[in-house]
Amino acid sequence: VKLISDAGYQGEITSVSTACHQIEVFSRVLRTSITSLLEGGEEAVKKNLPEFTKMVCHGEHTYLYSQVLMHILANEPRGGSNIRRLCQELQNGAKDRGLDVTPITLALSGAAAYPRACSALSSMLSRHALNPADISILFNMYSEMNPPPVDLIRVPAFLDLLIEALFRPTSRINPEHKAKYVYVLAYAASVVETYKKGVRKNIDRGELKPTTQALERVQVLCAENKSSSELIADVSTLFLNIKFPVIAFGVLKWVDYTVTDTSYFKLNTDHTPLHLVLIDEIVTNHHLLHLKALELLVKLFESQFEELDVLVRLELKKTVLDRMVHLFSRGFVLPVVTYVKNCVDKPDTDISLVRHFVTEILDIIAPPYTPEFVHLFLPLIENKAITGSIRTDDGSDPVSEFIGNIQGLRDCQN
Amino acid sequence: MATGDTALWLHNKLGSTDDLWSGKTICAQLSQQKLQSIHQCFHALQPHVKVKLMLSFLHIHRRNVEQWRMDMEEILLMAIHDSDQWVSMVGEILRPFPSTGSLNLDLIDNNATFTEILADLNKVVKKAASVRMLPMECQFLNKTAFTAVAGTQPAPVKHFALKRKPKSAILRAELLQKSSEVASNKKNN
Repeated sequence: VKLISDAGYQGEITSVSTACHQIEVFSRVLRTSITSLLEGGEEAVKKNLPEFTKMVCHGEHTYLYSQVLMHILANEPRGGSNIRRLCQELQNGAKDRGLDVTPITLALSGAAAYPRACSALSSMLSRHALNPADISILFNMYSEMNPPPVDLIRVPAFLDLLIEALFRPTSRINPEHKAKYVYVLAYAASVVETYKKGVRKNIDRGELKPTTQALERVQVLCAENKSSSELIADVSTLFLNIKFPVIAFGVLKWVDYTVTDTSYFKLNTDHTPLHLVLIDEIVTNHHLLHLKALELLVKLFESQFEELDVLVRLELKKTVLDRMVHLFSRGFVLPVVTYVKNCVDKPDTDISLVRHFVTEILDIIAPPYTPEFVHLFLPLIENKAITGSIRTDDGSDPVSEFIGNIQGLRDCQN
Repeated sequence: MATGDTALWLHNKLGSTDDLWSGKTICAQLSQQKLQSIHQCFHALQPHVKVKLMLSFLHIHRRNVEQWRMDMEEILLMAIHDSDQWVSMVGEILRPFPSTGSLNLDLIDNNATFTEILADLNKVVKKAASVRMLPMECQFLNKTAFTAVAGTQPAPVKHFALKRKPKSAILRAELLQKSSEVASNKKNN
């Protein structure tokens, strides 16, 4: 194996335990994997992450070594944030495998310089659960004049726990302590620190108060467990405060829990329930939440809704597709079209739903189109089962118009 | 406990090569005396047992780490000079852990492969800077905090022109209208 590695054929070493046996071989395989993940971006990460996680998590020593190496690389000002993301994906992957990586995460984060904060975070992260005593410690420390660095609490797994505690409908936080949860989350979301040569020069808390107040307002609305009709009067409050990314994240989580409850659509008779319009609003305001929104819409689209009448079910799926059209119109183009395109190949997809999607898309788009979009969308357009019935003989329909518009682009490609 | 017994105990606890994450299972049974005994037999342990033993240090309560610091450091020092490269690397990474709780990130002088890989990857990282995979916490951050962390983001690719807004726009307007009606009714009542 060492000889294969020395000759430069890292890609040939496929057995994880073989690769991990010698540190030299492991290092080279790691180099090859990280390089291909970085060069391939989000798509490569999505595709190759499971295999990469499997290799890195082979043992606690391989995990430690990989995280140390990547932590050093993440400090590189140019491009380091890409590596930071990979480190986090690995942390999540390890957590999903039931491995306790919290001590390594915290030892690398510099938390050791703040032993009380470190021990509070460590106990919550290891147990995957928050508790009032540890939150109080963090609340007190971050309320002082000279708090620990904000990065310490900007740990995605910790922020997720806070969001869950505040926005999961069944979550019960002791009212006495709730303000502390809100404060710590708002602090992580809003405070900006300025460093010069590694020394903190300034802490800007300007947005802390408005973020805390907005979080409190929305959290109360979500926790009251109101029905859609009762919430109607609060729509403008929700719309206004959803502009804070952390609130949008929480509301999306809350919407997720609410609409995936089996009784939700049975009890809701509005054509487009309020909660789904909230998804649109989040999508409009936050590009970074587009993927999360699509994941939720896909989950809804693929739900069986067996308790609903067939026609009601079909209408509901159209409503969900309309949300996807909205997501598409706000710039999440290729992932949405890719999803619908893949649906066509699934045996249980009602083709009239795909037709609905295509019609709605054609209704809002105009040239110039990018080749990537045309390449993805054209198979839907050219599929007679989908568009045959919406075409007219004289070619004045939107389908023919689209084909006419892209003729130039196709000629260029040929 | 005699040195031989300690070695046997460690072998029984950490000897399996199937589970390479089992270091933490011995934490509850470690003591200062035990660490001293381990120090005596460390050289005779199998490499993967040595590695797992050191990794157990990460899971020990901080208060105990402070009390047993010297004993842990002696074991790590032996590991750093071990002929097995994984053992010496893990020892090197954990060297500052007993005294500071942090890890050694200054490994360049100690390991040629590490230095080579790090230098290569550094170039790759810089070259791939335009890929822009954002760290996960960015989803939570207010705009100012986000820009401070991730810089200005490039405008997304425009795949088409929008000739009219989708139906969602009408729905939004209707909902806001309904909302203000309900709100004003509430006020009047």
